[in-house]
Amino acid sequence: MSKKEEKGFFSSLGDSLSSLKLTIALLIILAVASIFGTVIPQNASPEEYLRVYKFSTYKILKILGFLDMYHTGWFVFLLALLSLNLIVCSLKRFRITWRFFSPEVRLSDRQWENLSPCQKFSQKGLPAQCFSQCREALSGVFSLPKIVEVSGAYHLLAEKGRFSRLGVYFIHFSVLLILAGALIGSFYGFRGNVNIVEGQAADQVVLRSGQQARFPGFSVQLEKFSVSFYPTGAPKEFKSILTIMEKGRKILTEPILVNHPLTHKGITFYQSSYGVAGVAKAILAVKDRQSGKEISIAAQMGNRTEVQGSSSFFFLDRFLPDLQGMGPALQIIFSEPNRPQQNFWVFQNHPEFEDQRPGRYRLTIKEIEPRYYSGLQVTKDPGVGVVWAGCLIMITGFTMTFFMSHRRIWVRLTEKEGGTLVAIAGSSDRDRTGFEEEFEKIAQALRETQRAQEDYKEREGRS
Amino acid sequence: MISTKMFSSVTFLYLACTVLYFNFLAFRSEQLGKVATALSWATLLIHTAAILWRWVESYQLGMGHAPLSNMYESLVFFSWCIALLYLLWERKMKSRIIGAFAMPFAFLFIAYASLAPGVSDRIDPLIPALQSNWLHAHVITCFLSYASFALSCGVSIMYLLKIRKKEKGKKETGWISLFPPLESLDALVYKTIAVGFPLLTIGIITGAAWANYAWGSYWSWDPKETWSLITWFVYAIFLHARFAREWRGKRTAVLSVIGFAAVIFTYFGVNYVLSGLHSYA
Repeated sequence: MSKKEEKGFFSSLGDSLSSLKLTIALLIILAVASIFGTVIPQNASPEEYLRVYKFSTYKILKILGFLDMYHTGWFVFLLALLSLNLIVCSLKRFRITWRFFSPEVRLSDRQWENLSPCQKFSQKGLPAQCFSQCREALSGVFSLPKIVEVSGAYHLLAEKGRFSRLGVYFIHFSVLLILAGALIGSFYGFRGNVNIVEGQAADQVVLRSGQQARFPGFSVQLEKFSVSFYPTGAPKEFKSILTIMEKGRKILTEPILVNHPLTHKGITFYQSSYGVAGVAKAILAVKDRQSGKEISIAAQMGNRTEVQGSSSFFFLDRFLPDLQGMGPALQIIFSEPNRPQQNFWVFQNHPEFEDQRPGRYRLTIKEIEPRYYSGLQVTKDPGVGVVWAGCLIMITGFTMTFFMSHRRIWVRLTEKEGGTLVAIAGSSDRDRTGFEEEFEKIAQALRETQRAQEDYKEREGRS
Repeated sequence: MISTKMFSSVTFLYLACTVLYFNFLAFRSEQLGKVATALSWATLLIHTAAILWRWVESYQLGMGHAPLSNMYESLVFFSWCIALLYLLWERKMKSRIIGAFAMPFAFLFIAYASLAPGVSDRIDPLIPALQSNWLHAHVITCFLSYASFALSCGVSIMYLLKIRKKEKGKKETGWISLFPPLESLDALVYKTIAVGFPLLTIGIITGAAWANYAWGSYWSWDPKETWSLITWFVYAIFLHARFAREWRGKRTAVLSVIGFAAVIFTYFGVNYVLSGLHSYA
């Protein structure tokens, strides 16, 4: 390959990277791909996919990366290409925008012709005399005008909102910042879940990838979980009271709720799910059918519980907070002399079921308290701050771009037959109607100050 | 509930406003136009009162949350945003021409709230995920942006109707001749998007901030999030095509209609067709 061709290749590559056609094409491709991503379930299990798709379709979708599309190579590549395009386009455009920051005060006749709105009128007095009032009239509403004097003619330029030209760069930069934040999060962050039973602690979390991550120098203990419901049955509040422990010392205890996570050392804990792990406390009434005596026995999950004054004993095997819609139920393994071991359910709300069961003892649940576990989502994302900074800059950029305008007014004072020919013209990059009203006011003010000046001089002359 | 009855009557009033604005176009009667405007403001006032009253009712029921929490309430609020933005525009521009293409949206969405099966008008207590102050900022900015896009779509339809007539070489007759000139319509398509786009951006950002508290991630490619981004892309294309490639008129009007279709899918489609975390509205 010759050197010339090489340059041609790179400059044409540069051209296509800086082209807006590429931006629009990328945005369209990303939008269409995203549609696929919402239609095809993401990160589901193979069984779930095979329920919907044929095996061959599933294979193809998997190979093309459509099953975890937003993290797949080509999608990330498209985002990277968009970022590159954004950078190149912005740099290219910035050269043009930068000209607004060293503006021409003295315009050519040709430039004057192209400006609108534009007004011309003559005033008494030489340009040098008109000049200071003119400067005051402009600086009242606009910045202090820049002035150039060329052989007796004065050129003034007053501006307002010049920095709004930079809004678009703020927006483009913020997009890059947000993507950078996302990148930081994906490299240095993690996301996982941990279930903690009341009274127990965890010091690591299982990540989505299947790996494990340790909390840096602390563990989290679940003191208590509680759930409450509205009368309609809809959930009202899920609450886990967490204690952060460092080297066996309690550092802090705080409740977490949905919408109210807890962050410690860069790791955030979210209330995500809950369930029943067993029984915290169970008190059973055991009635001896022969003697008619009833005693209360506190039982623990898994432990052998003796029935006092007999050689019978039982185990609590399983607890369900709601067995087939019949309320809380305990599965019990009961053993009494001269009988085969029995395995049965006892319902808290249906003690009458026990009447059907043969055996010496009749068991009912007097009191039962479930032991909950709380499912916590554990997230570390050091990129979040960068993303929020990007969002703030983006909003600033939008405010500059859409709600502010760069307004300029040029005034030229040239001598004409012993008086001054005043030419005033303006331009605004948006909100023309608003600008035209403002321009009209300023033009009016220019005429009026001059007129007032004349009246004053006339009066002076007369007296 | 009184508020629900008020919303039903508001629905019929918006229908009346729509009919009046159409008649204003058809008969070119300034008088009719004035009546349409007056009735619209009155309807908006009742609509506002009904929203506030529903808020009071939620307190009476012991819940006390802003009426922005389910499909019904969001539809009612969407309709309110459209009517408000349109009437503000009408005041600013001193022209009633686009009323006939804006008020139907206000009517349709509130009518859908009352009539559609599966849209419950009950006031429900807030589930844990919705118990957040981000709710207000998120819902208000999103629906103001949607409303602005609805207006843009209405104006785009006017533009497309007018240009079709022109392209066919027919002389402009009837009510289409009353439409503002193509350039003004084109400018208005842009202006409404220039308001809607930043609002949509803030809506997405507040949503992300909220998601970071409630779902543990500011962005999880949930269908609602993804579709809001698709919508954002469409309007981003609109702005770039208009600014940098100097697309005007027909092509940008079509883009604005596509954009609003994306808005509608983000709003309804995601809930009815796809499933995800964002199942409230």
